[in-house]
Amino acid sequence: MRESVVGQLVWKDWRLQRPQIVIVLAWGAAALTIVRWGHQNTLVVGGVLFFIPLILLAHILPLAGVGNERKNQNLAFLMSLPISSIQYTSSKLISSLLIFLVPWLTLVSAAVVLVETRGVVPRGVIPSMLILAMMPVLGFCLILCAVLVGETEGWGIAANVFCSSTYGLAWFFMTQLPGLMGPAQGPVPVWNSTALTILGSEVSAAVLLLGLTYFLQSRKRDFV
Amino acid sequence: MSDLAIDLSGVRKKYKFFALDNIDLKIPEGQIMGLIGPNGAGKSTTIRIILGLVHQDAGEVRVLGHRMPAEQVAAKWEIGFASEDMRLYESMTLGWHMGFIQRIYPNWDAAYAQLLLKRFGLRAEQKIKGLSHGQRVKATLLLVLARKPKLLVLDEPTTGLDPVARHEILRELTAVMAEEGRSILFSSHNTHDVEQISDQITFIDRGRIIDSMDKELYLDRWRRLRLEVPHGVELPALPGIVGVQQDGRLAIATANAYFPGLANAYETSGARVQRIESMTLEEIFVANVQYSREEVEA
Amino acid sequence: MNGAFVISQSDKRPMYLQIMEQIKQRIAVGDWTEGQSIPSIRQLAVDLEVSVITVKRAYLELEREGIIVTQQGKGSHVASKPGLGARLQEQELEQHLEQATRLAALMGIRPEELENRLREAGDRITEKETI
Repeated sequence: MRESVVGQLVWKDWRLQRPQIVIVLAWGAAALTIVRWGHQNTLVVGGVLFFIPLILLAHILPLAGVGNERKNQNLAFLMSLPISSIQYTSSKLISSLLIFLVPWLTLVSAAVVLVETRGVVPRGVIPSMLILAMMPVLGFCLILCAVLVGETEGWGIAANVFCSSTYGLAWFFMTQLPGLMGPAQGPVPVWNSTALTILGSEVSAAVLLLGLTYFLQSRKRDFV
Repeated sequence: MSDLAIDLSGVRKKYKFFALDNIDLKIPEGQIMGLIGPNGAGKSTTIRIILGLVHQDAGEVRVLGHRMPAEQVAAKWEIGFASEDMRLYESMTLGWHMGFIQRIYPNWDAAYAQLLLKRFGLRAEQKIKGLSHGQRVKATLLLVLARKPKLLVLDEPTTGLDPVARHEILRELTAVMAEEGRSILFSSHNTHDVEQISDQITFIDRGRIIDSMDKELYLDRWRRLRLEVPHGVELPALPGIVGVQQDGRLAIATANAYFPGLANAYETSGARVQRIESMTLEEIFVANVQYSREEVEA
Repeated sequence: MNGAFVISQSDKRPMYLQIMEQIKQRIAVGDWTEGQSIPSIRQLAVDLEVSVITVKRAYLELEREGIIVTQQGKGSHVASKPGLGARLQEQELEQHLEQATRLAALMGIRPEELENRLREAGDRITEKETI
């Protein structure tokens, strides 16, 4: 019985966020199309356009899915259902991750396939591309944590602003690493220690943030 | 002794500017309890503690036999909660919400839900954002009523509603009592509604329970005595009289523990009892708050 | 069946008294006859949209006055006393007369004048009925 209530909550979130997901996918598809059919000039435009939906997904989703729920006072309605606050948190983490990862995976896989098969961009770019694509994932985890644990809109916005400002910095820092930039122009993707370490850290950080969120939420005594 | 639907003993909860102090509340199964008190008295906090949404600092909370907040999931299968500050999802329809609840709760009564739609004048295809305040309140209550829960906990169910809507809701609430074993706890500013449908009344002010008892007995204890006080007569201080207001030769004595001997005592002292009036719950509310606060400050 | 039961908001008397009075009236005019079963406490509470405890009190008082009888598991019925209806009508008349007397005393109207007023009122009613 318990599983099905959490399942219903996850389905509910999916249903509520459907319009946003569709828009994000459409935008990403459009950006990839530009990359696919364009020449040198439109490449950069396409590339940038491609990352925008990923960032939007990462930043808007938690605010809309979780933050609004509390702001719009839907939380009392949900907590009147036979669930504990921990189950609510779990459902939020699961549904947010699913709603984020499904489009994210779709777009990123499509981009990788594009690079692999079409030769529009040197294939050496793939590791850097994945590292870049992981940044919104980290941002997503951080904002989700802030919004769930912090409860007020302010925390979500603060995390949002923090992430937006640091993406550029993080990328700049990475362009300084010869281990990444060297092979990037090459015809073959090179998975050297630099690339793997960075990617590995990103994934671990994301998992840690999610775990931290779960832990902090379970310690709360006044939920609504 | 019948089972208790709600049993609070020695419950305490401290916030920065407010504290619930030593709350004892017992509601037997099969009864309606009305919870009244001024704004900020602690009604909503008490209700949230009952629902397990807020964890008490001290004291025992048992709802339908379940310890709260530890067993809140088990309890919430049988509790229907609706609160004034609760909102449904604006972009979805009422029908979507009904489906959502129906998939979760096995004892959803679809026929009753349809009947309520008709009685409340609502349509399932309507989006929540298109509903007026009164319609939203009725929609939220419909979702809770159609489940036929064993215990209904309602925080201000009729506040802000027009008289017709209020009547529609009171009708459904009293209809719940047709089935034995079902209970209702509701808080309301609408003292008339509380007076009409409650079996028991609990009065809370500034985090403390001031009174909690059978409604009929409670109404019987309060009386207003209109007195004519001749010159030179001083009114005696009597037990059971909570306050006296005097203006020249006319005085009004408010009793919260009335017995016929009180009238005699006044007459003996030289005053004349013009009239003994019973008080509406609203008048009792105001007098209670006024005099209990004076007592504390004295 | 209970459509004509109404708790008046402007009536300052307690609800249970109003319920008792309306039950007595029904018996007095013969709508409810001796021995007839009447709605259960719970059912009447639901119909009137009032608390069960209020109806319970009304029924208890009526039982104490010997007007109804409640049996465990069988519900309630009007007491099977012949002439109960007529007796209740008598009681009501007495109450009205006492009220009139008390009011007259307050207004300073003497009993003889009250008698005249009563006769005049009777004439007025007869007039209205013949029109």
